Amino acid sequence: MSAGGLASGKPDGEWLRVHPATPFVRGWVALAAIGYFFGRDSFERMLQGQPLIDDRLAGRAPWLLGAGALMLVLAVLSFILSWYFTRYQVAEGYVRVNTGFLFKQQRQARLDRVQAIDIVQPLLARIFGLAELKFEVADAGESAVRLAYLRIGDARQLRATILARASGVRLDPAQPEAAAPEAPEQQVLQVPPSRLFGSLLLSEQTVFIVLGAAASVVLSALTENRAFFLYLIPAVLGFVAAYWSSFNKGYNFTAAISPDGIRLRYGLLDTQAQTLPPGRIQALKVAQPPLWRLFGWYRMQVNAAGYGAGANNGEAGSRTTLLPVGKWEDVLNMLALVLPDPGTADPVRVFQQGVNGLDSDGGFVTTPRRARLLAPLGWRRNAFAATDTALLMRSGRWWRQLVVVPHQRTQSIALQQGPLARRFGLADLVLHTTAGPVAPRVIQADLREAQGLFDAQAARARAARRRQTSEQWLAQVDQRPTPAPQQEGQQRG
Amino acid sequence: MPTAAIDPPGITWLRVSPKYVTVRLVEWALGNLVMVAVLSLPLVFVRLGWWRWPPLWLAIGLPAFMLLLALWRLVLIPRQVRAIGYAEREDDLLIRGGIFFQRVMVVPYGRMQYVDISAGPVERGLGLCTLKLHTASAGTNAGIPGLPAAEGARLREQLSARGEARLAGL
Repeated sequence: MSAGGLASGKPDGEWLRVHPATPFVRGWVALAAIGYFFGRDSFERMLQGQPLIDDRLAGRAPWLLGAGALMLVLAVLSFILSWYFTRYQVAEGYVRVNTGFLFKQQRQARLDRVQAIDIVQPLLARIFGLAELKFEVADAGESAVRLAYLRIGDARQLRATILARASGVRLDPAQPEAAAPEAPEQQVLQVPPSRLFGSLLLSEQTVFIVLGAAASVVLSALTENRAFFLYLIPAVLGFVAAYWSSFNKGYNFTAAISPDGIRLRYGLLDTQAQTLPPGRIQALKVAQPPLWRLFGWYRMQVNAAGYGAGANNGEAGSRTTLLPVGKWEDVLNMLALVLPDPGTADPVRVFQQGVNGLDSDGGFVTTPRRARLLAPLGWRRNAFAATDTALLMRSGRWWRQLVVVPHQRTQSIALQQGPLARRFGLADLVLHTTAGPVAPRVIQADLREAQGLFDAQAARARAARRRQTSEQWLAQVDQRPTPAPQQEGQQRG
Repeated sequence: MPTAAIDPPGITWLRVSPKYVTVRLVEWALGNLVMVAVLSLPLVFVRLGWWRWPPLWLAIGLPAFMLLLALWRLVLIPRQVRAIGYAEREDDLLIRGGIFFQRVMVVPYGRMQYVDISAGPVERGLGLCTLKLHTASAGTNAGIPGLPAAEGARLREQLSARGEARLAGL
């Protein structure tokens, strides 16, 4: 591997430290807590016009001050030591990070195993122009490599370097010292704040809140207990916090495509920029809560190997969101990015049927009519369809959803049948994928169809695995920056 | 109740050792008898006059019901063990199991991340082992219990070799 160099043309393989301001950006909470603890009492006394230090404590003041100062010094020292001993290196196809001075840890991750790279900027880091870089590999747990904090420019440069190495792009042999250029990108969509706001107002959460509020008003009227509302204050605060966090996370959501993969950017105070290299998305879900149908809005979520499960966990929840709220054209655009080759002649119609359709239009195979007792609403919706490159599973009459799994991402497949399903000659087919918010499952399919799909899907996954040869996406065949269905979608939109 | 198999036709299944029934029996005894015994305690206490609650019918009914359930499970064990099967195909391993809740699973060799062999005290006494396959998905809950130790070792080697030959990324 030729020497590409990191930021500002440093030689390859040099061990670097993160930015010196890191300890303070990271530890400001601890410092603030110490300051608050020792300062509050004095401050209150000052407001009350009393002497700064309690008379009873006055004799011991030097000791207290000394203890406080010692704690402060220890905290600062430990932050500085942890900064000093944290070093990283990108060389020979690996990224390595050494941390710790008492308990040392050395970690290395293969660059071509990268599943996703995120650049995260919490508010304080953003003020200082710093950013955290997260490097994800296929491991359910925490991020493989976290570098906090780098200068934002250095973080971008490092991301470009890592992605360039991981993609197997050929560096210019004439200028081995030149830093890897950032891959050009093209913006695909943007979510306006008004739509995000509307989507939050019409979310499931809001429905529950309205129902809960109505119930509590009725209850308080019936019991004539005026103080009842007081108990609701914590709940209201919780909901406000939840709405705020959704708004903060989803604000100014933009998606762009580059040869390095899909770039997602979002955030109001804390901003985040995710890069999902091509072919790293394991499964995808397009969902529509009932109220969103008024405006034709959809939500898209993905399973990516590095992001792990934690659908309820705020951070993972936002990272697995491919589109917080979007119109049908946006959905088609994102589908085109994730699935550049949809494997059918008429992808727009097939996906349209998958998301909104009923019955067998577009090649879908539904739950047989004899099972309509088992699924009176859903039997015309529950369906699957296989294209040359992916399996589509749709379900839900009111909470509509479509799950898409590329054939080459199928891990294992299980055919399941319980006693009730056996009565109706049905079976479920479960596709296992990495942890995440999407759980692909063909519900209540005819037993014959399910068996056929089981065999066919195993064969298709096998063929797709054969075609996929390398983890380095640019080293593979051609790559398509502007996929075909995207244009079709825009014409339709 | 009809219990026709749901697995695809034309596959010769390898069955696990009949001795695995013993393992299941021991597990059954440990789980169910202990539970029935614990649930019978209120009955004893009520009979002795230590407790006033629960009423006698409940104190008898609950453990009796659990005992019936346990016996039902006991009767099913041999059939459940006979239902477990696996088949090595060219590119993937098939595993089936269950009578009422049937499951057939296909695990491609190229998707296997690692293979575990474990044996509890009872299994070890009978010369059996349990083989577990792990893919990148936590949902792949693929285990073959009750394999003879030699067959387990052979299968593990076979799976590792085939997995290496057909290794795919994620």
